[in-house]
Amino acid sequence: MSEKPISRLQVILSKGEFAVTAECGPPRGANSKVVRNKGELLNGYVDAVNVTDNQTAIVRMSSIAACTHLLHMGLEPVMQMVVRDRNRIALQSDIMGAYSLGIRNILCLSGDHQSFGSQPDALNVFDIDSMNLIRTVQTMRDEGKDMSGFELNDPPRMFIGAAANPFADPFEYRVIRLAKKIDAGADFIQTQCIYNMARFKEWMKMAREEGLTEKVHILGGVTPLKSAGMAKFMNNKVAGMDVPDALIKRMAGVPKEKAVEEGIKICLETIAELRDINGVHGVHIMAIEWEDIVSEIVKAAGLTPRP
Amino acid sequence: MIVGKQKSISEIKSIIAPFKKVLILGCGTCVKTCFAGGEDEVSVLASALRLACKMDGKDIEIEEFTVERQCENEFIQEGAPAIARNEGVLSLACGAGVQAVARRFARTPVLPGVNTTFIGVLETQGVFTEECAGCGDCKLAVFGGICPVTRCAKKLLNGPCGGSQNGKCEVNPETDCAWQLIIDRLRILGQMDNLRIYVAPKNWQTSLSGGPRKMVREDHMI
Amino acid sequence: MTENFKPKITLFHCINAFGDADELFTNGSKTCEIKTVKMACSSMVKDVFLLRAFEAGADAVVVMVCPEGQCRYVEGNIRAKKRVAWVRNLLDEIGLDGRRLSLTHMSAGDQAAATRTINDVVKKLAELGPNPAV
Repeated sequence: MSEKPISRLQVILSKGEFAVTAECGPPRGANSKVVRNKGELLNGYVDAVNVTDNQTAIVRMSSIAACTHLLHMGLEPVMQMVVRDRNRIALQSDIMGAYSLGIRNILCLSGDHQSFGSQPDALNVFDIDSMNLIRTVQTMRDEGKDMSGFELNDPPRMFIGAAANPFADPFEYRVIRLAKKIDAGADFIQTQCIYNMARFKEWMKMAREEGLTEKVHILGGVTPLKSAGMAKFMNNKVAGMDVPDALIKRMAGVPKEKAVEEGIKICLETIAELRDINGVHGVHIMAIEWEDIVSEIVKAAGLTPRP
Repeated sequence: MIVGKQKSISEIKSIIAPFKKVLILGCGTCVKTCFAGGEDEVSVLASALRLACKMDGKDIEIEEFTVERQCENEFIQEGAPAIARNEGVLSLACGAGVQAVARRFARTPVLPGVNTTFIGVLETQGVFTEECAGCGDCKLAVFGGICPVTRCAKKLLNGPCGGSQNGKCEVNPETDCAWQLIIDRLRILGQMDNLRIYVAPKNWQTSLSGGPRKMVREDHMI
Repeated sequence: MTENFKPKITLFHCINAFGDADELFTNGSKTCEIKTVKMACSSMVKDVFLLRAFEAGADAVVVMVCPEGQCRYVEGNIRAKKRVAWVRNLLDEIGLDGRRLSLTHMSAGDQAAATRTINDVVKKLAELGPNPAV
């Protein structure tokens, strides 16, 4: 990790504060007001906001643009960047552009396959993978060079994030992959949303044993459930998700009007457990199209005011 | 082999619509082995088209001929008299064969009757799977003999994405996750350390991305 | 459909299903014309032969094979079944109607079943009409 302060998120994590990040999905349209409204809901309750990049391959306003709108409101964006849609030339170009606009955090991802999205006929790119992207951003920051070795005038210096999914297969390999991402240059990790706490704790244990928690900041992902149906859907239809039967039963066990309340309760229990896990340095709240619940959760979790 | 699938009857009918005399030209190599365009498939298609055209009240004469390979002039030439007798040729070869015939018989429309898809193998009787993307820079040695460029839907070189579940790919639950296969194979080979090695971005210049390729063997040119 | 429509049926049969078709259809010959094709095993049925039967003017084609699990050559009737299914689809694609082609399992020498099959086909043809591609 770089010594010089690069971003506000980095400063908070370096100080040992339990960080809070959330997600903002840009609109399927060109109105910046939608982005600003979401920003208003999150402002003051989070340390940084991830802005997704054509998530689930559905065409939306670009991450770099939405990040800039949030930046102008005084929020700290984390620009998500997938390798599905752009080749190395475009990616490096956008990284420099993003930095020039004031963006300081980047999350490097593979990206959901285009067959899931709104335009499955599209040709995908995957010129480089997410591991290569992490390394590229690190090289730009620490060596000031792009992928061809060219010395950039005023290189971009980003705080580098990567995703980790303790719930995808193959399980034994997941920690090797985490180690690899750290070696490639990841400074912080945001995990897939956690419902199977036992499995997550096992993964954290393996990470600690490899000494990885000394080298990277891990933020545990959470998503509040709204209904038993949502729990079932996520478990069955969303790749890489693990929702234990006990949790689905718990959601199904309450009357429909109380489901949301129960979902939030579970979410708060998860956050409380995360704060006690050695090596977890924060929480990443992914309230998909439900940004207004974030403030409620952060308050109830006792995580306000933010530093 | 190159694997392809014959186009639908309705598409083929519209392709040969302008002609009164059509030659269905088969190929005895790749498309024969995947049941798309060999001699047997030519005869079935000819018969089916005759019936279909009768029903449509369309007057048409359909001739059948198959050559060993449509990608080599020496064999294509054997079809010359049949091609000369017809107004159009429906070639059941792969895209390369169709173009080779079209090039040599430039005055006769040569049309494709097969959708060429991939380089693959016969996995089990009746099942063909894609194995090689022809990237031009083979790294199978690093990946335990399983190609992530072809078999990973995202061409990832440094391990699986977060969508790998139960050994299956997020794109299609019937498709094996190539990285699960690679990990399992490397385990058998005792090469799990390969997984820790950072694989640098691929040089795509040797692939189709660099433009259509040519290979020349001077030692075979007289 | 004309009253004088006397269907032409081509019958592909395995000699192990029954030996000689001619004996079996003294009744059938009144309601239809039958052409028979003998095969050592029903797996000798090839897609192109079935199609050519229709090209030659058959209104319906019947393939008689041994009962499941009783093919003398083990897989013959399975292959025949798959090929018949393939050609039925092709016939639908052409617009000739796949119902004109059928496969029945026949125990050796079961004349009654054979006659029943032919009668069913004749009945079906009353609905489908003559081969439109003649």
